[in-house]
Amino acid sequence: MYSVETRSLSKTFGAVKAVNDISFAVESGEIFGFLGPNGAGKSTTIMILTTLLKPTSGQALVSRFDVMTHAKQVRQSIGYVQQESTVDEYLSGRENLLLQARLNHIPKDQINKRIDEILELIELTDKQNDSVVTYSGGMRKRLDIAGGLLHHPKVLFLDEPTVGLDIQTRRKIWEYIKKIHKEFNMTIFLTTHYMEEADQLCDRIGIIDHGQIQIIDTPENMKNAMGNEVISLKFESKNPDDFLSQLHKIEYIKKINKDNDKLTIFTSNGTQVIPEIFKISSILEIKIISISLTQPTLDDVFISYTGWEMRDDDAGFNRKREHAKMKRLRA
Amino acid sequence: MNSLMYDTYTVFWRELKRYKKSRSGVLIRLIQPAIWIIVIGNTFSGTQPLIQSVGFEGEYIEFMAPGVIILTAIFTSIFGGVNTLWDRRYGFMNKALTSPISRSSIALGKMSAISLISAMQASLIVGIALAIGVSFPNPLMIAPIMAIVVLFSLGFSGISVIVAATAKSQETFWGVINFLGMPLFMLSPALFPLELLPDWLATVAKLNPVTYTVLLVREMMTGVSEGGIPALLSIGIITAFVLVMIGLASYVFTREVNKPF
Repeated sequence: MYSVETRSLSKTFGAVKAVNDISFAVESGEIFGFLGPNGAGKSTTIMILTTLLKPTSGQALVSRFDVMTHAKQVRQSIGYVQQESTVDEYLSGRENLLLQARLNHIPKDQINKRIDEILELIELTDKQNDSVVTYSGGMRKRLDIAGGLLHHPKVLFLDEPTVGLDIQTRRKIWEYIKKIHKEFNMTIFLTTHYMEEADQLCDRIGIIDHGQIQIIDTPENMKNAMGNEVISLKFESKNPDDFLSQLHKIEYIKKINKDNDKLTIFTSNGTQVIPEIFKISSILEIKIISISLTQPTLDDVFISYTGWEMRDDDAGFNRKREHAKMKRLRA
Repeated sequence: MNSLMYDTYTVFWRELKRYKKSRSGVLIRLIQPAIWIIVIGNTFSGTQPLIQSVGFEGEYIEFMAPGVIILTAIFTSIFGGVNTLWDRRYGFMNKALTSPISRSSIALGKMSAISLISAMQASLIVGIALAIGVSFPNPLMIAPIMAIVVLFSLGFSGISVIVAATAKSQETFWGVINFLGMPLFMLSPALFPLELLPDWLATVAKLNPVTYTVLLVREMMTGVSEGGIPALLSIGIITAFVLVMIGLASYVFTREVNKPF
């Protein structure tokens, strides 16, 4: 069963095709990562899925309800945690959650129990009565996420959940996301442009650019599809040719470049190849001075699908129009 | 219907919480009406014979005090919608819009909170008026006066919410609001008796809901009816104005927030 599904979804602003004929489906219970450079169409897509924007054409289903015709049912099934913190600074943490509970029509007799539970989960029980003004960025984000969860939505949208947070906080937020996913088993649709985040959290990733889906796959498959891992090796030997010919017999190795005492080995399954290399070297009594393995990262995958160009300076874009578009998109 | 009221209350509750926690604003917003009542009230004290010629017995300051109460209500309520712009900028609006509550309940919740805040500000002005010696023949009238202020402010906050929902920037909002606020106050008998206004001004004033509110509140405070307009007619006109504003604000707000900001 699909939790989120789009069919030829498009959204145009004037002459700009922000989302251009995209179709994808997210399985129920999945953590799906939506990646793309700035202005790729991520925000527009998420705004359509959360009923904030109407698509120009095509269809979007969330929890099997059409966002156009059954907006209210969609809103009842989703939690939406926006990129910027949306908690009311002058209210306490608990008051913010109370507001969220009422906005989402949680039955009165359950509100307090739910709030207590969620405060426990995000470890803010001690601070619940402090004004949010006194909260750190990470605490606010946790409160934001808690607000999105309170009504146990079937689909949780997380828009750039860790943008602007330090590494420690970011990792902590990842932990919370994994924890809530385990506890409530809802579908999570998250956008990010941190590859590590996508790699850590997501079951599958969709990369969007220029309003179109470039690829959807698991992080593992994407990285493997990038092909070569690279082993760089430095050694000392009077008889390098023997070493080379032995290395060529390792099945995963595809190509070896030799530059004096340095070898660059293109291979797959690098982590298994390295022990093989050591076995050969010890038999041949070759001294290995240094060895390193470089694996493709999701960064490489991302760049391969979206290119190197920085989007702010993209000459193909009409700057003024882009600006107007962003202004409209800002919320 | 039931859920519309619950949702309206939710938004109302949030707005009041925010107001309560930003107390510094309360006093700042009182400065201007206090200056009006003290400075203008005394500046024009020499017009007492004119005031008396249309049936008022007291001093000018007693004549214009109801005008300043309404002035406070006008400005508190017409400025009150500005946080709609912040809400749209800082995401609360999107949070509310992606929750199952109805759009109109957001507008109505804001309006009811603004009108209550407006009445609280106005009651502080009543206090100032009493402190500087304005006499109040019937103190029991304070509660019904406040009820009228709440009603009137509900209508005026509708203007504010409409402008805020339509305006895409702070500049536009303040431009429009200043353009509307002062003339609506000036084109009323708040500072000068309706009967002594030039005909064309009196005609314009009679199209202005502020006029009827001022006349009504003044009658409740001083006991003097003015311009031959019965209190019931005033109440009817104010009520009609408020109903129209509620409908219009719900409609415009719902239409505007569905557009990208």
